[in-house]
Amino acid sequence: MVASPQHEFETQDLLINVGPQHPSTHGVFRMVLTIDGEVVKDVVPYIGYLHRGAEKLCETMDFRQGSGFMDRTEYLAAHNAELSYVMAVEALAGLEVPERAQWIRMILCELNRLSSHFMFLGAFGIDVGVFGTPFIYAWREREAIIDLFEEISGDRMMYAYFRPGGLAWDVPLNFKERVREVLKSTRQGIKDFDELLTQNEIFRARTEGVGTISAEDAIDWGMSGPSIRASGVPLDVRREEPYLKYADVDWDVITGENGDVFDRYYCRLLEMRESVKIIEQCLERLESGIIVPDKMPRMLRAAPGEVYIRTEAPRGEYGIYMVSKGGNRPYRLKVRSACLSNLQALRQMSVDQYVADAILVLGSIDIVLSEVDR
Amino acid sequence: MNNSLFGFEINVWLDALARLGLIVGVMTVVAMGLIYGERKILARFQQRVGPQKTGPFGLLQSVADAVKLVGKEDLRPNAADPWTFELAPYFVFIPIFLGFVSLPFLLDVNIRLLELGLLYFIAVSSVNIVGWVMAGWGSDNRYAMIGGMRAAAQAISYELPLVLSLVTVAMLAGSLNLKDIVEGQANVPYVALLPLAFVVFFISTLAEMNRPPFDIPIGESEVVGGPFVEYSGIRWSMFMLGEYASLWILSVLTAAVFLGGYSWPFGEDFGKGYQLVLMAAKSGIFIFLVFWVRASIPRLRIDQLMSYSWKILLPLSLVQVLVVGFVQVYELPDAFLTVAGVGGLLALVSITGRAVASSRRLPGAARTMRSEAV
Amino acid sequence: MRGIAKSLMVTLSTFARKPVTRDYPNYHRELPERDRAFPLLLWDKEVDEPFCTGCHACERACPVECMTVLMKDNPNHKSTGGNSSRRKIIDKFWIDYARCMRCNVCVEVCNFDAIAMNNTWQGHELSVHDRKDLVMDLQQLLSLSHGGGIKEWVPVVGQANEQ
Repeated sequence: MVASPQHEFETQDLLINVGPQHPSTHGVFRMVLTIDGEVVKDVVPYIGYLHRGAEKLCETMDFRQGSGFMDRTEYLAAHNAELSYVMAVEALAGLEVPERAQWIRMILCELNRLSSHFMFLGAFGIDVGVFGTPFIYAWREREAIIDLFEEISGDRMMYAYFRPGGLAWDVPLNFKERVREVLKSTRQGIKDFDELLTQNEIFRARTEGVGTISAEDAIDWGMSGPSIRASGVPLDVRREEPYLKYADVDWDVITGENGDVFDRYYCRLLEMRESVKIIEQCLERLESGIIVPDKMPRMLRAAPGEVYIRTEAPRGEYGIYMVSKGGNRPYRLKVRSACLSNLQALRQMSVDQYVADAILVLGSIDIVLSEVDR
Repeated sequence: MNNSLFGFEINVWLDALARLGLIVGVMTVVAMGLIYGERKILARFQQRVGPQKTGPFGLLQSVADAVKLVGKEDLRPNAADPWTFELAPYFVFIPIFLGFVSLPFLLDVNIRLLELGLLYFIAVSSVNIVGWVMAGWGSDNRYAMIGGMRAAAQAISYELPLVLSLVTVAMLAGSLNLKDIVEGQANVPYVALLPLAFVVFFISTLAEMNRPPFDIPIGESEVVGGPFVEYSGIRWSMFMLGEYASLWILSVLTAAVFLGGYSWPFGEDFGKGYQLVLMAAKSGIFIFLVFWVRASIPRLRIDQLMSYSWKILLPLSLVQVLVVGFVQVYELPDAFLTVAGVGGLLALVSITGRAVASSRRLPGAARTMRSEAV
Repeated sequence: MRGIAKSLMVTLSTFARKPVTRDYPNYHRELPERDRAFPLLLWDKEVDEPFCTGCHACERACPVECMTVLMKDNPNHKSTGGNSSRRKIIDKFWIDYARCMRCNVCVEVCNFDAIAMNNTWQGHELSVHDRKDLVMDLQQLLSLSHGGGIKEWVPVVGQANEQ
């Protein structure tokens, strides 16, 4: 507590612990709010509750085992996490990924973006106060996507499907029909959310003008992903350094103007529509072929060197910095976590807002603690 | 002195005890039934089924919950103020049970008709806010205190529009006796004459019951239960009981005061069974509306909620009182009231829409979000 | 108020749709062929012994080191009068399901297609009261395949669809 009052009418600031166990912290995350009445004066975040030493553990895993592990650093967008890792290995080992594998990777990454953004919409709906309805809708839509993932790779969340060189095995024969089925229900789900939340006056009143961050400040803090695009900075790794086949399909980068909570929410919603567009174009251009290069060695060895590969995960720029000294495992693996960088701006976005708004700001940055803490 | 209960002449003290026992019995059963009903109906709004395993169609779920709660350990925080902490649940549900006394269920079926029934009802049901504040203060928990303060501010703010809309009804009926109010609607229910008062009353009851979208004191994703966060077991179940009991008595009051109670249409001609169906349908509509609003609408922040009450609802309800007075003094036809009411309703809708939404353009195809094409 | 009315309409329209709830455990949905629960060992029906020869390939490949493998000379080998061509056979095999992270690497490195992921509901319904019961021994690992209750899916890594 702050210093004791000298005059009997002086007020004190209150320290509130939004603790690791809390329905709205999206994982084990702790922040200590200093509030004066209802206005937040200071936010001190505490992280590390989910630290498992992932980067160190990856030094003990060879490149075949590593995919299954990188899933767990960002479990909601696991395909994107695996993608950065295998692209780094491919850069070090000089592998060239066949066309078919690239298209399939792109489809799966965008599907994962959809499911991750659905999760965001659901959790955000709970933060805003609608009891359960957005959350249940989100899980209904995710169910369709995750069932598809189960048919492809066998697992619903920790796929271990992308391997250096391409894919672990080929997709089932009815892949295209299944993806189109999933897209149909996804379109309806996005529409449901749009109608449920976007035009609701109370929702707009809660989220507009709250948690604003300007473009310069966002760049200074190193934010990325939809959080920075909502502030007006058209920064998208898929456009800056196109990987896979993003340069060959037609899609828009969604930016906002005000950088408040509503813009971050709406950027994500519109991004989901762009993802659907991308997937449809990929489906048309997907053809049969090989999925790993010919003459793939049984135990992959990488050349000595270092590489930094970044991809656009649903939460921002997810980068892998890999140092290899030859051999079949990385010497050092560092994960550039999008959520950690975005989280740094939490304090600036939350001060001089109400307590309820601080919760909304945390929800709108869309963090997943396994990526923050690794 | 003797009194008659169900046609039997018994001692007045025994009669009083019997009626009190009737209150407790009926309220408990109805509250448990409402908890079950809410879970089922909310589930259908979210495209799932509610409880279905305990008993046929899950009907015994509330009983199972009650048994569980009764068996829980009764925790009390060490530093909690013993008197306020332990008495708070009683201050919450006893006033609500007392409010039951003056409600007119069917013709001549009630606990005790009071000459000042409406006034008694409002006065008594407002006492429960004392229990909320006691719970917030006595729990020695910052979250609880925040929740308690918010609840007090909210309850006080919404008392006024509530009372003023009931005043207009009393003015039209010419009496505070609930029986007279119901029977005064034999031809036309008051909702047709006072639509604005009905809507203001509905919104104010939502706020008085701390139900979404006004549930920020018990905002589950922020202060996790608000004033009741430190309560467990039986004490907590008393709060729940109080909440659902107040939902029921307010729905019966709405049915009686605005929707015509048991007397419209043709209630007094067709006997008790028909009247029962009428009352059940009318209070059922109100309860369904409350659940529907809970499933759909985010919650308002405390400052938005209070400004809505003081700046919008209160002036409109004052105007409504003036209009009714005007009509009664100059003996204008009742149609004038309806026209004025509808006009007021339109004013409320448009002011609400404008007050909570900002001047930002609504999202659409060609939009505020800047999109950068390839 | 139009936005609020829209939200109310969305939830009302959901009211009219059929619930998506599946009544587990009375109803088990059909698992896809590639579903990946925990590993189990396969039984060779022609020769009536496990496929596994105890070569330690999976044990070495496992990222979390959840397996313990011991091999022995195969008493059923042709040289001693049997009908099998496996010189060595598995003697003892333990997998700690509590450590296994179901990454599928053991299935991919096996030279004999002897280990596969359980793609039935039994692989998912593994609750026990004591963590020690999650360490599966050879009998438990072989039981499902020996009884013929599994149609396993062993992927060929890197092979494209022939279309």
